[in-house]
Amino acid sequence: MSWKTFGNAAVVGALFAIVAAACAPSTPAAGTAAPSPAGSAAGAPVRGGTLVVAIWQEPANLMPSYQSQTVQSVVLDTVVEGLLRATPAGEYEPVLAKAVPTVTNGGVKVSADGKTMDVTYQLLPGIKWSDGEPVTSADVKFTWQAWMTDPKVGTREGYDQISSIDTPDDLTAVVHYKAIYGPYPTRFGRLLAKHALEKESDYSKSDYVRKPLGTGPFKVTQFNAGESFVVERNPYYRVAGKPYLDKIIFKSVPSSTVAIAQLKAGEVQAMWNIGEAETADVANDPNIAVVVTPSPYVERIEMNTAVNKDGTDANSVHPVLGDINVRRALIYATPKQQIIDKLLLGKAQVGRTVLSIGWAAPKDITQEGYDPKKANDLLDKAGWAKGSDGIRSKGGVRAALTISTTSGNAYREQLEQVLIDEYKQVGVDLKIQNYPSSVFLSGSWATGDQRKRGSYDLSLYNSAPDIDPQSIVNQRYHSKNIPSPANGGVGQNYTRVKNAEMDKAIDEAGASLDFELRKAAYAKALKILNDQAVIIWLSERTDLTAYRKNVQGQGPGNGWRNFAHNTEEWWLSK
Amino acid sequence: MRRLIGAVPLLLAITAVLFGIMKSVPGGPLAIYEGTPGMTDEDMARLEHAFGLDQPLPIQYVSWLGRFLAGDWGYSIIQHQPVLGLIGERLPNTMLLMGTVFTVVLVLAIPIGTVTAVRQYSWFDHLVTGSTFAFLSTPTFWLGLLLIIVFGLQLRWLPLGGMRTAGVDFDLVDVLRHLILPVATIALVQLGGRVRYLRASMLDTIGQDYMRTARAKGLDERVVVMGHALKNAAIPLVTIIALDVPELFAGALVTEQIFGWPGMGRLLWDATTRNDYPILMGVLAVTSVLIVFANLLADVIYGYLDPRIRYS
Repeated sequence: MSWKTFGNAAVVGALFAIVAAACAPSTPAAGTAAPSPAGSAAGAPVRGGTLVVAIWQEPANLMPSYQSQTVQSVVLDTVVEGLLRATPAGEYEPVLAKAVPTVTNGGVKVSADGKTMDVTYQLLPGIKWSDGEPVTSADVKFTWQAWMTDPKVGTREGYDQISSIDTPDDLTAVVHYKAIYGPYPTRFGRLLAKHALEKESDYSKSDYVRKPLGTGPFKVTQFNAGESFVVERNPYYRVAGKPYLDKIIFKSVPSSTVAIAQLKAGEVQAMWNIGEAETADVANDPNIAVVVTPSPYVERIEMNTAVNKDGTDANSVHPVLGDINVRRALIYATPKQQIIDKLLLGKAQVGRTVLSIGWAAPKDITQEGYDPKKANDLLDKAGWAKGSDGIRSKGGVRAALTISTTSGNAYREQLEQVLIDEYKQVGVDLKIQNYPSSVFLSGSWATGDQRKRGSYDLSLYNSAPDIDPQSIVNQRYHSKNIPSPANGGVGQNYTRVKNAEMDKAIDEAGASLDFELRKAAYAKALKILNDQAVIIWLSERTDLTAYRKNVQGQGPGNGWRNFAHNTEEWWLSK
Repeated sequence: MRRLIGAVPLLLAITAVLFGIMKSVPGGPLAIYEGTPGMTDEDMARLEHAFGLDQPLPIQYVSWLGRFLAGDWGYSIIQHQPVLGLIGERLPNTMLLMGTVFTVVLVLAIPIGTVTAVRQYSWFDHLVTGSTFAFLSTPTFWLGLLLIIVFGLQLRWLPLGGMRTAGVDFDLVDVLRHLILPVATIALVQLGGRVRYLRASMLDTIGQDYMRTARAKGLDERVVVMGHALKNAAIPLVTIIALDVPELFAGALVTEQIFGWPGMGRLLWDATTRNDYPILMGVLAVTSVLIVFANLLADVIYGYLDPRIRYS
């Protein structure tokens, strides 16, 4: 019986959204509120109470080294800390370390030959794990070892640049890097507890995977898969009097629509990740506020410059998109602001580069705006002549393209419809071929990710860089990272863009420890990338969180981490 | 016994086909790492190797089967928990849900089916026949959402989903309140089918010669209906109920998803969307075994209840 209705399941979300929207209370009231500054108007913080947060995806596990989902980091941010972390501005601040080690303060020492470096971390004294055991430099060393020896960890990036770690005393860890590694502050973002894990032969089979130890304001007390994830006050938390809340329950609900319904009904007091279009559902509810935080996610359309063919030759030239005039025309023909206003209710910024926020974001780089006339002029001049059906062609090649994205994403599917009309006006025929995200974004050569294989014209999706941009810029835009049959599909340069100057700038940025120099090098690389016109930067997305108004102390959001980045400050007013 | 042995190659074939279908779906369990900053192809290749995903398909199947038969159902690739443990977490919740549905349907179907047959073409019969037909044609997901909107969102009588209120450890009344809507959703749809079966079967029985004989003996009408008619008319119903047994294990995929019920259906749903093969294979293999045995069981019970049927 169950399988019979399985096929209908896809319709569930859509139908529910429609009916729920129709049933929304029509009380006219205050609209979407700006984030309330900590403690404003609500008086002094009150200690105690349980906060219930709806999450509509579920953490599969809470092992810091296995992290792959955003929702994992939401729960982990209340529990597990590291040596340093990102500030809302996208810089670094110390957490368990006394200071951020830099060349200037002597924490980073480059070897005489300039090829290796040592980073010294001084730990804060008296820090304890949530089971009362002291945190020492041995935990720092163990964290690196665990990342490098456990075959089931996610990325080893950065940890694989470390040759050894010395622990001269309990509070000092000297990390020896085998190269100059600029993104070093991003490592050790979550420490693992040596005393709890060292006796395990396979970390993935230990209790730690569901109930990791940490030094954060809360500790995991219940992991009820499919139901709820409970964190309670950590008695050993280093800040006296905090956290204010006794407990946070992350309640697993089947969809964001259900989360909104429960938020309205008061069954939950906060909800993780409400969609831009969904904010309309709560805008008229006087008890609910939406907090908007800039996020590092940039929505883009990547254009394949090589021939659309399975396992394409990176040196081949796409019959249509190989012409930079066509690519530039498509950028002109894309009404970014209109898409943001209509489909994202204005809750996003027009995209400019792959780096939207953070220390390296080049704020002065932009991309050409909406101008269909310029698009038509460009194509006319380039010899793409309109046929009787209004579609252009040149040398017998029709300007017909296919766009792909993750199926079931309403925003992206509507966006594709908009683009069909817009591109038709400049004489480009657009077709849609979408795939489930586990197929479209499998990221694997072996399972046939079409971006990897080069068998696509236009790919619509988003991704976020880490706070240090080296990884994403290098992997996606350096010519050595073009996946091909020859290199076994290594790399994520899906547009197959090749530019020697850009490669050089990326290499420079990766090999330097000087933040100003690196920032300038990224700006140079990203400017060249925009000149190549291979990616349409649609929008810089935001993180949206909805709260009932009695939840206090959230402060400004942190796009680099998530809305739960400062739960020790949260409290409930009457 | 011969039929039992015959079921073994059937089950092997089912698991092999399931495995093949599952693996032929594009994408894989490691797709969750897409978008994780810093993941390199080297990292992906290491993970594929760590989880045995780089092995040829037949080898993956044989090694899975060998371990499965030895009682090692493997670990979820994404949750890193033993599959048996994950099933153990969800099974009681699903048994509670489906067991309640099972009981409610049985308790209601028998009297309603009997009365509608005995009082054929009465207003009650028309009402029941009409509404069962309506419910039978209603998709569960639609009915579930309708119930949530009416009783949860509008009237605020019942919770919107989940198995208990967040923060409440165990409270029978609380669990029962959460049970009402999902049980009603599945039961209303199932009830329609059961009542119609029983009614048709009863009508068939009532027209039989031995019924006239029973009445002619001067037996009380109640005894005639309950003792003679119902017992015979229930035979097809028993078969259908026996075939429902696997659902006690597998849960209700759609209803559990809509109501956020932490049962087997949701486990299966999540495993499907994430391509988590070990969980899928474990759950589907057990479900297949149960379906095969439920069929055998139905045959056996049928033979017992109806002496005219004997298997040689």
